[in-house]
Order: sequence, then C-alpha cells, then structure tokens
Amino acid sequence: MLKVENLSISFRTDEGLITPVEDISFEVRPGHTLGIVGESGSGKSISTKAVMQLLPGNGIISKEAKILYTDKSGKVMDINKLGKKGRAIRAIRGGEIGMIFQEPMASFSPVYTIGNQMVETIRLHRNVGRKDARRIAIGMLDKVGISNPEARIDQYPHEMSGGMRQRAMIALALSAGPALLIADEPTTALDVTIQAQVLDLMRNLQRDLSMGMIFITHDLGVISHIADDVAVMYLGTIVERGPTDKVIHEPAHPYTQGLIKALPSVDRLHDRLTPIPGDIPSPNERPTGCPFHTRCSKTIVGLCDRHQPQILQVGEDHTVRCFLHEKQGRATA
Amino acid sequence: MSPDMTDMKQPDDQPVPSRKATSGEQGGELLIEVKNLEVRFPIRKKKLFSSETAYLRAVDDVSFDIRRGETVGLVGESGSGKTTVGRAILRAIDPTAGDVIFHTREHDIYLGELEGEELRHFRKKMGMVFSEGPHSIATMTSDILRAFRPRMSLVFQDPYSSLNPRMTVRDIIAEPLVASGMMKNREKIDERVRDIASRCKLNLEHLRRFPHAFSGGQRQRICIARALVTCPDFVVCDESVSALDVSIQAEIVNLLKDLQEEMGVAFLFIAHDLSVVAQMSHRVAVMYVGKFVEYAPTESLFYTPRHPYTHALLSAIPTIDPDETFDPIRLEGEIPNPLAAPSGCRFHTRCPYATEQCASAIPEWQEVAPEHFVACHRVAEFDFSRQRKDAAE
Repeated sequence: MLKVENLSISFRTDEGLITPVEDISFEVRPGHTLGIVGESGSGKSISTKAVMQLLPGNGIISKEAKILYTDKSGKVMDINKLGKKGRAIRAIRGGEIGMIFQEPMASFSPVYTIGNQMVETIRLHRNVGRKDARRIAIGMLDKVGISNPEARIDQYPHEMSGGMRQRAMIALALSAGPALLIADEPTTALDVTIQAQVLDLMRNLQRDLSMGMIFITHDLGVISHIADDVAVMYLGTIVERGPTDKVIHEPAHPYTQGLIKALPSVDRLHDRLTPIPGDIPSPNERPTGCPFHTRCSKTIVGLCDRHQPQILQVGEDHTVRCFLHEKQGRATA
Repeated sequence: MSPDMTDMKQPDDQPVPSRKATSGEQGGELLIEVKNLEVRFPIRKKKLFSSETAYLRAVDDVSFDIRRGETVGLVGESGSGKTTVGRAILRAIDPTAGDVIFHTREHDIYLGELEGEELRHFRKKMGMVFSEGPHSIATMTSDILRAFRPRMSLVFQDPYSSLNPRMTVRDIIAEPLVASGMMKNREKIDERVRDIASRCKLNLEHLRRFPHAFSGGQRQRICIARALVTCPDFVVCDESVSALDVSIQAEIVNLLKDLQEEMGVAFLFIAHDLSVVAQMSHRVAVMYVGKFVEYAPTESLFYTPRHPYTHALLSAIPTIDPDETFDPIRLEGEIPNPLAAPSGCRFHTRCPYATEQCASAIPEWQEVAPEHFVACHRVAEFDFSRQRKDAAE
C-alpha cells in the first residue's frame, strides 16, 4: 500500500547541504505494522514526515525518489510528485494517512475542546454534518477506551491526563478513517502501565480496521510486540530490514546486534551493559563507506571505510547492508 | 528466599579498598535515614469571596535508609512523588513532617533542625560536595555545618537545559568548587577538574569548549563530573539516563557504576524505567501516589515481588525475550489524582485483588523477609515469584 524507493532527504543550511537520509526503501502492507528503530538523529522521523510532504521549507526530497501510495479506491499515486500544497496532498494528510506524535499536548490546540477538533477533522475528510460528526467522534473516543465519552468530548486537552490525551490523540488521528497510520514514538512519554494499555489498544484497533501502520520508536522491546516487520536505521540509511522475529533474534548487522546487547534487562541483573563504542556522528560529517564503520567492532579496514555496502539478502524478506554477509548473501541488485 | 546480597557485586569486580567494606552490603554503614517523611504542597482554590486551601500530599509517611556506597533505585509512575522524595532529602524542598538524618563519620545531622542562617548555608552549598579542603571550613558559620562536610549533589534528566551555554566545560565542572569556596587556588581547581573529567571519560582537550559542541551522552557526562567534582557522599540522579538512547544509556550506567566503585558515593537513582533501575541498584523502592509500597534488595524485588502493584509494573515491561509472553496485567484506569488520594491502601482502586479492608484501612509497612518491606493487607496470600533466567550464573 505504501512503497518508498530510493528516498533521500537533504536540507539547505548555513553550513551547506546536509543529507540526513540517504537512499532508503521500505514498504508497508495493509493490515501490517512496519517498525522503524534507530537512535536519535538516525532520520527515522523525517523519513516518515517526507511521506506526508511535511518537511520544513528548506528540506528537499531527491528527484529520483518514489513514494508510491495506493489509496482507498485502489489508485496508485506518487506522493513525491504531488508537491507540498494543493488539494491532492491535503486529502492524503489525515484522510488517507493519519499521524500520531510523541507529545499529545503539542498536537492538540489548547483553546478548543477535544470534540471541536475531532469534529473539524471528520468534517474535513468525510461528507457528514456536524451532528453526525459528533456522533462519530463520541464513538471513536469510546473505542479508544475513554470512559464517559459524551462528557469527555467537551473537555479541553489540559483537563485530561497524559495517557488519556494520548488516547484522544489516537482517536483524533483515526476519526478521519485513515488507511495508514504513522505513529511517531506514541508511547515514549508514557508510564509502563499506560504504555501497555496504549499498545494493546493500537493493536486491537489495527486489527479491527485492518489499517497499515508505521511505528517509530527507539525501544526494541516495544517494537518486538507491535511490529510485523522492522527497519533498523543508522545515520540515515536502513542497515537491516526484515520480519521482527528474525531481526531481533538473529540480527545480521553489527549495529542491530549492538543495540540489542546494550538493552538493560530485568533478567540479567549481574551482567555489565555493553554499549556501542563511540558516539553517533553528526549527519554533516557522515563517514565514508559504511556509515557504521567508525563504531563497528568488525570493521574490515580498506573495505568498510571506502565502499558503501550493497543491500544483501540473508533470509526470506530479510536484507542487510553489510560486507560481512557478502559471501553468505547474494546481492539483490 | 533470603536475599543474597553478596551476589549483587559483579563477578569481575575490582575491589577498591575504600569501598570494600561499605559497598551497600547488608548491614553496611548507614548514610541517610529517612523517617516518616511527609511533604505537602498547599493548593489554593479561589472562589468568589473566599479561598480554600487544599493540601496535596506529594509524599506521605515514607521511611527508608541508604547506606554508604550503595545505589537505591526509586521507581514509580509519573506523579507518584519520586522527585519530591529526592528533593526533600537534599532539603531543596522543606518536608512538612518527618526526619532526614545524614550520618557523617563524626556526627548525625538532622536536616529538619537546620534553620535560618544554617539552612541558608546548607542550601547554598547544596550543589557541591566537600572533601578535606581547608577553605571550606572557614566559610561555614556553625558547628553543625562544619561537621556536615561531605555532602550531596544532584544530576538532572535533561543534559541540555542543565548546562549554562555561556560557560566553558571547565568552568561548569569547577563551579561547585568555586561556589562553595572549597578551593580558591586556580591551579588546584584545574587539577581537580581534570582529574574528575578524565574519570568521567571526557576528552581533556574539550574542557575549553562550550556545551553546545557536545552530544547528549557527553553532556550527561559533564553533568556527572560537575556533581562529583567535590567528592560527595551522596548524589541524587533524577531520571539521569531516561532521555538518552540505549547505547549511550548503557555507557552512562556503566560509568556511574565505575565511579561508585572508585569513589564510594551513594546514589538515589530515580527512574521510571525498571530495567535500568534493575541494572543500577542494590535496593529498589516502588512508589505509588506518594507512598512506598515495596522496598527490597533488587534480586528479591524483581524475582519475588510481594506487592500487586510491583507485580503489575514488572509485567508491563516489554522485553525482547522470545520465551516470555508479553501479557501485562491490565490495571484499570489511571493513577489517582494525589489531591484526592484514595482512602486505605492507595492502590485499591486499581488493584485486581482489592477487598473491603483495602478501601478502609491503611496497610502496615511490614518486613516480610529480611530487608524486604511491603505495605499490603493480603501480602501473605500472594506469590508472584518469577523463574530466574540467570540461575546458572
């Protein structure tokens, strides 16, 4: 339903052109969840913002990039060609592709009631009257588990607690009936018990509405419970992509392996944590060759620092960008 | 089921002589005693012709202790009062009732008794920590403060907002020394700053730079260096690693553990992430709406939790373990508003095992196993033990 090919994103800045995302490809199938994991600065958020043409003014999407989206009526379109303005992209934002952000307080306007904002969204994307829109909104709030939705709908965002606000945010995003939902760190700011509730809710709603979903997070634990497929990003490239089970339990890329080893666990109280050495380089001084070679313990000198590895297939739907798999895998190209 | 505290040390421990005897083992030397601590904040509600004052009990009757060189983890959901406990121990907030006793090697200090001039001095010197600097004593007025030489410090969550962008890293780290008047000789200050910076694995070349040139992980290391530059006995780490990426988080956790080994400092490690707390702490306390519900050695808390709330929290951690089915206990509803805290056991509104007794009577804080404290009426009926995964180790 969404197929992104060779997406690169650049920003014009005072220090010249910076390319935080380079040549990434991924796809989302209807009813499935794609998880995108990566450290801060790896480009996971802006890649999905590019999908909705929401980059700031100085952002440039590469010309050769294809963002193919199949809408509800089955029509295929290239979002990259739609431009940032106009009727077509506005119909996609919200109506076809919904979005949830990390901080729900920032996504609601503080001066309108929750219901006011939901009704506005619903009426923008669906051809219904005010009364019907309100009925749909109440039904949605009920669906996301907000008790007493008839009263809650007339409350302002500040009157709700964090977990409830995040649920209202989900209800808002879903009220326009999107076919694809992009969730950008939706549970990061929540407590574990509330996080468990929200993850539960999102899984159930996805099943009921057979919606596609992109779930961005830095928490591998969360990913392993919600995503069908995972893409691991490092410095603007996808270093590994595949079914969640495979990527988490048989990680092929040294970076993925490092991330998993660095996770603290309540089952290993005595083990010392093993961080990935070094810091993530800034995108304007991206290393040559494989971007991870400066921190990788298995760097092959003369190869990894000079050449960009190809995408190699290491299993069914499981690809990795690393020279270590050159012999085992075969170039997909 | 007796907690095996000697196990808490890492296998590859290099014992540091100064710490060996005081490494948070059972019966180690007491550092801080908190007795029946209570913090209330007045909340004024304005009405047309009158105003009503309600009290928010952020911390209600909390008692625990911290030993020299040990890490006590404090977990709980947002709004449970974790930060307030940390601040009240440092006396950055005035406790409404109760005592915080700071055991120095010579005297016991009752923080609650410090008043007026003494308290002002104590507060001024809060961000810092003393060792045997000759100048430090001269700046203090009272005997109590004089005895209160080794001190406490604080590391915050956000390494971006807690560093002054207009100061160099060297000046930031040196500030507690300067502000306390503990060191006046510039060369000595430089020497100390370089020593602590290298312990915190900062590049000494970078000391002349400004904070904006550093990444989140490096900034947090600067914050830690600043907190430790005066060699404190006690540091509160308030969500110090929560905002960091996993690999940097692992680095900082290791660094804090190493520094504890080397310097024998005790930490109160406040976090909402239980797995990080499990890695860091010798003992862990669980808070719920202003009260402690459980306090136990890390092993006991994670493998044999006794309170239903602890159990629910543990079950909600998403792990990547394939053998473990993720089936969080669904707690109904939200954390109650502390302004209208439930009667009896505060958890009874969400507890799946609540009875009538739970709604009416406050459960007693009882020791159910050595060092293992729980506040629950039905504690005898529960067994939430989990299978150990690392039993072989």
